[in-house]
Amino acid sequence: MKLRLSLLAVVGIALWFLPYGLGPYAIHVVDIAIIFALLAVGLGLAMGVAGQINLAQVAFFGVSAYAVAILTARAGFGFWTAAVLAMVATLATGMVVGIPALRMQSHYLGIVTLGLALAFTNWVTNAELSGGAEGLGGIPVPPMFGIDLFSEYLYYYLELIVFAIALGFGMFVVRTRIGRRMRAMRDDALAAGAVGVEIPRLRMLAFAIASVYGGLAGVLYAGLIRYVAPETFSLANMFLLLAMVIIGGRQSLLGCVVGAVGLTLVREALVEFATYAQLAFGAVVVLMVVFAPTGLAGIPARVRRRFSRGQSALARAQLQPFAPSDVGDSRPESLAEPPPDLVASDLVASDLVASDLVASDLVASDLVAQRTSVARTGAEQAEAAARMILEVAKVTMRFRGLTALDGVSLAVREGEIRGIVGPNGSGKTTLFNIVSGLYRATAGKVAFDGEVVSRKRPYELSLLGVARTFQNLRLFATMTVRENVLVALDRSRTAWAWRYPLWPVGVWRGDAWLRAEADRLLAAYGLSEFADVLPSALPYGIQRRVEIARAMAGRPRLLLLDEPAAGLNADEVEQLATIVRAIRASGVTVVVIEHNMGLVMSLCEQITVLASGRVIAEGTPAQVVADTAVIEAYLGDARMLEAMT
Amino acid sequence: MQLFFQTVVGGLSLGAIYALVALGFSLVYRTMGLVNFAHAGVVMVGAHVATTFYLFAKLPFAIAMAVAIGVTAAIGLVIERVLRPLENKDFDLMLIGTIGFGTVLEALAILRWGATGTAVPSPVRTAPLDLFGVRVRTYDLVVLGVAALATVLLVWFLHSTKRGAAMQAVAMDHEAATAVGIHVGRSNAIAFAIGAGLAALAGGLVGPLLYVSPAMGGSLGIKGFAGAIMGGFGSIPGAILGGLAIGVLDSFAAGHFQGYSELVTFLVFTVIIMVRPTGVFGERTVSRA
Amino acid sequence: MTDLVVEGLSVHYGAVRAVNNINFRVPAGHAVGIIGANGAGKTSTLRALMGLVPRSSGRVSLGGKDLTGVPARHMVRHGVGYVPEGRHVFPGLSVEKNLLLGAYTRKWRTQTSEPLAEVFELFPVLAEMRGRLAGALSGGQQQMLAIGRALMSRPRLMLLDEPSMGLSPKLIADIARVLARLRSEGIGLLLVEQNAKLTFEVAGGCLVMENGEVAMEGASEQLRHDPRVRKVYLGM
Repeated sequence: MKLRLSLLAVVGIALWFLPYGLGPYAIHVVDIAIIFALLAVGLGLAMGVAGQINLAQVAFFGVSAYAVAILTARAGFGFWTAAVLAMVATLATGMVVGIPALRMQSHYLGIVTLGLALAFTNWVTNAELSGGAEGLGGIPVPPMFGIDLFSEYLYYYLELIVFAIALGFGMFVVRTRIGRRMRAMRDDALAAGAVGVEIPRLRMLAFAIASVYGGLAGVLYAGLIRYVAPETFSLANMFLLLAMVIIGGRQSLLGCVVGAVGLTLVREALVEFATYAQLAFGAVVVLMVVFAPTGLAGIPARVRRRFSRGQSALARAQLQPFAPSDVGDSRPESLAEPPPDLVASDLVASDLVASDLVASDLVASDLVAQRTSVARTGAEQAEAAARMILEVAKVTMRFRGLTALDGVSLAVREGEIRGIVGPNGSGKTTLFNIVSGLYRATAGKVAFDGEVVSRKRPYELSLLGVARTFQNLRLFATMTVRENVLVALDRSRTAWAWRYPLWPVGVWRGDAWLRAEADRLLAAYGLSEFADVLPSALPYGIQRRVEIARAMAGRPRLLLLDEPAAGLNADEVEQLATIVRAIRASGVTVVVIEHNMGLVMSLCEQITVLASGRVIAEGTPAQVVADTAVIEAYLGDARMLEAMT
Repeated sequence: MQLFFQTVVGGLSLGAIYALVALGFSLVYRTMGLVNFAHAGVVMVGAHVATTFYLFAKLPFAIAMAVAIGVTAAIGLVIERVLRPLENKDFDLMLIGTIGFGTVLEALAILRWGATGTAVPSPVRTAPLDLFGVRVRTYDLVVLGVAALATVLLVWFLHSTKRGAAMQAVAMDHEAATAVGIHVGRSNAIAFAIGAGLAALAGGLVGPLLYVSPAMGGSLGIKGFAGAIMGGFGSIPGAILGGLAIGVLDSFAAGHFQGYSELVTFLVFTVIIMVRPTGVFGERTVSRA
Repeated sequence: MTDLVVEGLSVHYGAVRAVNNINFRVPAGHAVGIIGANGAGKTSTLRALMGLVPRSSGRVSLGGKDLTGVPARHMVRHGVGYVPEGRHVFPGLSVEKNLLLGAYTRKWRTQTSEPLAEVFELFPVLAEMRGRLAGALSGGQQQMLAIGRALMSRPRLMLLDEPSMGLSPKLIADIARVLARLRSEGIGLLLVEQNAKLTFEVAGGCLVMENGEVAMEGASEQLRHDPRVRKVYLGM
């Protein structure tokens, strides 16, 4: 930490005194470089961190710069007033561009954002208001504390301060909950939705943030050059920006900065050979994409991995014994009270159901749950036991002529451990996908705790209390174990993000609280020593447990486990059974799809058997095993059973 | 009324060009799941090569086109081979890789042919025809004819030859295709080459209609792409319809909004895509499961 | 003698060991079954044999020829026909086109009419539907198509992955009959199945896999009465 601070101080001092050593042309280049660095950071946040293809970044730049130009040169506003209005306009543009992102991704998003950028260029080239193809000049010199910032040296300091704040804010976002959610969404949007990330709003937010950076860059550009013309905001510069971000490393903000500064300098150096420079940039992007997709910023990590010896140690790592007493206990022992300033407004039991769950609400729910778990008498328990937490009514699922599920109905009692079994292709995972919101059933209804949820999206179901694991393990690959859990622990809605610009202290405190909770959860699951490790470095059994811990982090009431024992050895299966029983003891209903019949028989009280998309049997393990239909589905012939006894 | 038909007819020949571009996009997408942002660059290179051989080497137009198609097909093979490690793995990165290639192609074109463009005279010197009061340039008919022929050939290739069937099979299930002995990489390369060839055809044909310059790829590529998406990405008839539709839409926009025509076309496209993202015929693509 | 010999086969998916050092042999013209619960490693074994997933260790030879380094697309040239789990027909192509693609490595004009006639004779329903799109066929018909497609290359050995999946008992009986006939024509069969009954009927010998290893093996006649097989499947 100390090393970092002193490094930061050295860099800060060097940057402060930089202009003294530079001639007028050089400082102009530096000023331009900082503007591109701002743009690159914004693009990196949208593309690298949140995974949204954003080819409209240069249009955000343009909207802001042109807005300042038009408002000052045409409408006579003062520079800073125009700047504020321009930022508003850019943010609005960002939200508009974000709308397509709600419905499409990848190449569609690419073409639409590119199209909108082209549309912008087309408009400014033609409109009289914007000066047509020649552009618009006459932007006044921005005044600051009584001085006109005419000098590019003075302007440098303005840019430096704005940039430092913007970069700092960007890094703050990346390291706290919004950034984590964005990275989760980038890594695996499906799994992110399943742990409660509101994917559509987050995508919109990513574009909004990118547009703010574009807006800042545009304002600074207008104040520096004091002339705007369509060429600056052309596709060519968009691709240059893209090259900066890819070469620098789109997932790292510092990488984006390095890419931006580096390419600006290279471009200036090669200004005589602009076309050769373009050729070189294009070629380097292609090479990077194939050989170094994480860019320059990713090289240290790759080198480290190449030479790391810790790999083999991790591969042989053993899971710590699972501590059953802690996992279901809803009292956060390490944090007896919530941070004081968060208590007042939110600690009301009814807030449990309110849409805006703040970190402190978690504590409220803890206390409430504590009260209810203590207060549950025999009668209340009986009543709870009779309630159906999950009801599937005549659900049918058809995919292009293939009927995966045909009129499946089942009801799971609260507090049960239910097993779902059946031969390959019987529709078990399809059923889970429908219950967790990934698929929409062709017909039929699903009700969770009495409420019909058939049309709800995965994140809505997560917020209602449904959690799941996946057959093929969907952990967030570029995030550590702790970060995986942190994403799920965070139960706040996207709207919570208003605290970022207006009350960052609240964000910081909330994060500290989340981290403490995460550590507690990891300790309960015996995962503490792997907290800072990437999932890919862990043995399979440990990854499975991480996925369960992550699912439980969201404090669900219903947990769906899809083949949790696949790939586990006998010991690990034992531990899995212990974990599942403890999870149920803490009040969570568990539904398990499994092929490991030994596990299913010993763990589940009730079993539903699916075959060819239909329920063919339901009952206790002993009943199901004796059922002729079941035996036929598995072994092929009921008479074989007799032959085998 | 006559103006209406005139506008429609005027839009059809450019629409046929867009349709060819869209066909190239769709073919590569349906076989490889790859959105090729370098396609526009390939169109542009095709246009330049054809123009060079036609105007400066004085070859007959058809021969010049054939040479252009050969050159761009080779470029297509190179792009596919370089990006092959990313196939079926990271689509976003492949997309960016093709953007990089597009930039390289544009730079190469500027270096070889300069940034200013060339006007290409129409290879057909007959007077325009008059059909029911609507004026139709002969070259427009040539463009429509060639585009139609190319489409017919493509469809014949896909449906009546072994390689064509293999290409379709790879798009539907690349593992099952491997199991029957198909070389998936090679099949993709051929798809890419054909897509590039179609791009060259479009580029070569458009010379006499528009201006040939390194910047031309942008607009053509975007509109062809939009046409492909509107018709349903991956669908052959969709690409044709989408391309023609964009051409006609463009023609109307140019008539009413002049310089703003691109803006209008884009807004219309965005709205249509938002309402029905899979396009008119729906998206057909590689199974990414 | 076109025996299939597999030695020391292991398959890893990252950190997970799906198949652990197994050995077995399919004598020429014989049928061998691999049964076991899901997740036991049966499908991984077959896919590793085909080269569709990388083998972390092991040797594979067919008729004495070492196939260990052969890429998946060349397996058909060595006489291996593959019927994947879940059929995997080409849904947008006609039944006839699907079958013709099975003979991709042969000349379509001259070398396909005979195999096609044979497949239509084996599966008359496919002849009736030769012009229909494969995606419109029922599950059972698609299964027949998948088998027919593999037969078009006149293989010496067929690898079948769960052909009974999702099929009704009657259709399973039909499949059993077809497989028995193929076996009688001298085509070797390696049949991976969850359905033990089908396997015992078609294959003379079986391996029972559990957790990536061969838990038991022997003649079908004996395994069919063995209570340990039931435990592997039903857990009790």
